[in-house]
Amino acid sequence: MKQFINLLKISLNVNFGISALRYRFTREKKRLWEPILIFLAIIIGGGSLVAFFTMVLYSVYAAGVFMNTPEIVITIGLLASQFVIFVFGIFYIISAFYFSNDVDILVPLPLKPYHILGTKFLIILINEYLVLLPMLIPAIIIYGVGTRPDIAYWFKSVFIMLLSPVIPLIIASVFVLVLMRLINVRKSKDLLMVIGGLLGLFLGVAINYFAQRMSNGNPDEFMQDLLTSRINIIDKLGEKLPHVLWGTYSLSKPGIEGLLYFALTIAVAAIAFIFLLWLGNRIFYKGLLSGQEVSRKKRNLSAEQINRKTQKTSNPVTALFWREWKLFLRTPIYMINGLAGMIMVPFLLLMPYFSGSGDMQELISMATDPQFITQATLVGLAIVLFTASINIVSCTSLSREGQTFWISKVIPISPKQQVTAKLLHGMAISGIGILFTIIIIAFVLQLSPVRLFTILILGILGSFLLNTLNLIIDVIRPKLVWNDPQEAVKQNLNGFFSILLTFVSLIIWGVLSALLFKIGIPEGWVYIILGLSAAILSVPSLAILYTLAESSYRKLEL
Amino acid sequence: MIKISNLSKSYSRGAVKAVDNLNLHVRPGEIFGFLGPNGAGKTTTIKMMVGLLNPDEGIIIINGFDNQKDPIDAKRSIGYVPDSPVIYDRLTGLEYLDFMANVYQVPPDIKMQRINHFLDMFELVDSANDLIKSYSHGMKQKIVLTGALIHNPALWIMDEPMVGLDPRSSHLLKELMREHCDKGNTVFFSTHILEVAERLCDRIGIIHKGKLIAIGDLDELRHGEHAATLENIFLELTEQ
Repeated sequence: MKQFINLLKISLNVNFGISALRYRFTREKKRLWEPILIFLAIIIGGGSLVAFFTMVLYSVYAAGVFMNTPEIVITIGLLASQFVIFVFGIFYIISAFYFSNDVDILVPLPLKPYHILGTKFLIILINEYLVLLPMLIPAIIIYGVGTRPDIAYWFKSVFIMLLSPVIPLIIASVFVLVLMRLINVRKSKDLLMVIGGLLGLFLGVAINYFAQRMSNGNPDEFMQDLLTSRINIIDKLGEKLPHVLWGTYSLSKPGIEGLLYFALTIAVAAIAFIFLLWLGNRIFYKGLLSGQEVSRKKRNLSAEQINRKTQKTSNPVTALFWREWKLFLRTPIYMINGLAGMIMVPFLLLMPYFSGSGDMQELISMATDPQFITQATLVGLAIVLFTASINIVSCTSLSREGQTFWISKVIPISPKQQVTAKLLHGMAISGIGILFTIIIIAFVLQLSPVRLFTILILGILGSFLLNTLNLIIDVIRPKLVWNDPQEAVKQNLNGFFSILLTFVSLIIWGVLSALLFKIGIPEGWVYIILGLSAAILSVPSLAILYTLAESSYRKLEL
Repeated sequence: MIKISNLSKSYSRGAVKAVDNLNLHVRPGEIFGFLGPNGAGKTTTIKMMVGLLNPDEGIIIINGFDNQKDPIDAKRSIGYVPDSPVIYDRLTGLEYLDFMANVYQVPPDIKMQRINHFLDMFELVDSANDLIKSYSHGMKQKIVLTGALIHNPALWIMDEPMVGLDPRSSHLLKELMREHCDKGNTVFFSTHILEVAERLCDRIGIIHKGKLIAIGDLDELRHGEHAATLENIFLELTEQ
């Protein structure tokens, strides 16, 4: 136990950079404004997202009160947060359990497998609270303030919040442990990571699909059913996900019944955790150690083959571009994070189409109706821009270089050329997203080729601006020190800033188009103004990017 | 080839002076060995020379270019080998070399010739098509070395280049260094292996607590005591 606590302490220190922070504040005493600024940005940016989510939860609560099931707000809060945790947890777990650099240090130490597994699990758990609490606290408060339960509610709610990510993370961990043990093929570890990640994603999409099906294609009817209590949604969900039901009941049921559910929730989480440690002790090292072996092909290359592979000479920017491209495609966690959104969003778009609901026909006829075709085009453009910009490629472009950044510092290539290659890479990835989404939009919304072409051009212009701005974020604050590639993309606040930036930009463009229409500007001109606004803003943005790159590349020390 | 004037660098807001008013002149055609105990300031000095760290004060002239004012021209003259071979794990050895050659704009025929030459010399032909992450420490070190020399720079700056190399590769590297300098080029390297420094270097500089405490050829360092080995000299100087 002492060893376990010791390991946990050191892991917490490393993970959250406690010693590094202390050093920075007490010894270096520089750039103190930066954490303050980041904190403010999180409060404002995160705050607005939380505010939005709170509004949604409040309407859920209001509907719940109407149906005499106000506790539905807790169920939805638990469900939404646990869903997010499960889907993203799979990547996180594969990466932290099996691909982390500290494995080399930890395995030779006289520690039991469950010490390492347990520590890694708890670190993930703590990180997930950052995602979970902003989603769950509003639900707890809305219900608490609305129904005025006794003091035990608030006491229990703290534990329920702390416990709620445990079950989804344990399920994800067990899934990963078994997967890594079963498919014990050394060469395909990378592939496995992609498969594991995609499985998580598809599960997410599948749940969405069934949610669509559950609504029976007609939300009005569904609400009607709910209101007339023909369906008790909480019980229905409880059949599939009992721990969500217990969590809800432990807070909503008064007296002894609530306490019993509360005890049940704690007991199940504890048993599940012990089971995970037990399983980890048996199979964790087997999967882990086989992953440490790397195979080599040992192919004899003839001089001729070498010549063929190196005969083409490219200019430095092209060489840098291909470096970015290869490293991105060959690092599973980068590829999944970069491409996931671009696959997920169009699929989510397609889902209602295939679920064959009547709404879709209605939507399509609306889109083709001259009265709404402008709105359809703008919504299409917004989706294209969103898909093209959530790939976190540009905003982690420097960060991903990590400790190999020394190469970028010593090569005789100006920072301007280096970030140009990065921008081109970001645009190439966005380009895939743009094309993919436009094809889906063409299919779903059946817009005319001229409109699709307009979306394409505006999508390229808009995503160029967004990629430039995202790259600026990473040039200002790259995260170059990390143990495990996933820290460069997932535990990097730049991703959060980037998504925030995308939302803000989309809102600004949305408001701008609404205003333009309101003052009677013809449709074609609205598109031209939107395109011009992106193109014109790109010029100073690019200039700022180049200036910042010059100073940042010089200042960054390794 | 290298002119360092009044170079200083400190960490922790001046609390730790890593390099303290260093002045150094390394001439063309010279193998210069840079010695010093752990934490003496060797790597900090080297990193400032190649542009990885910014000096607090002082000027570094590389091949006639101020590395602060004309960093690109200065970098073009340098082939740098860091103390640990951290490179792109997910490129193959061949891709890495191709990348480095393109970045230094080596013409295609010369590029092919040099890649073939080095891969053959370091016995990397068999593994050139494998991802670097599958390489041993020594193999990575050899790929980094090749990548640094691919553009035939006038100045080689190497931080402990022999660490991790097998005896054969280490021997080859030493021969390469000699040949390079015989053509009028320069090698500046740090090492802890005093025998290597003793046999290979034309001149040696010893740095201690950020200050250059001795510089010269072996005879000059001996101060007339002919029996003194470099080890004796080093220990005597750095114990003070």
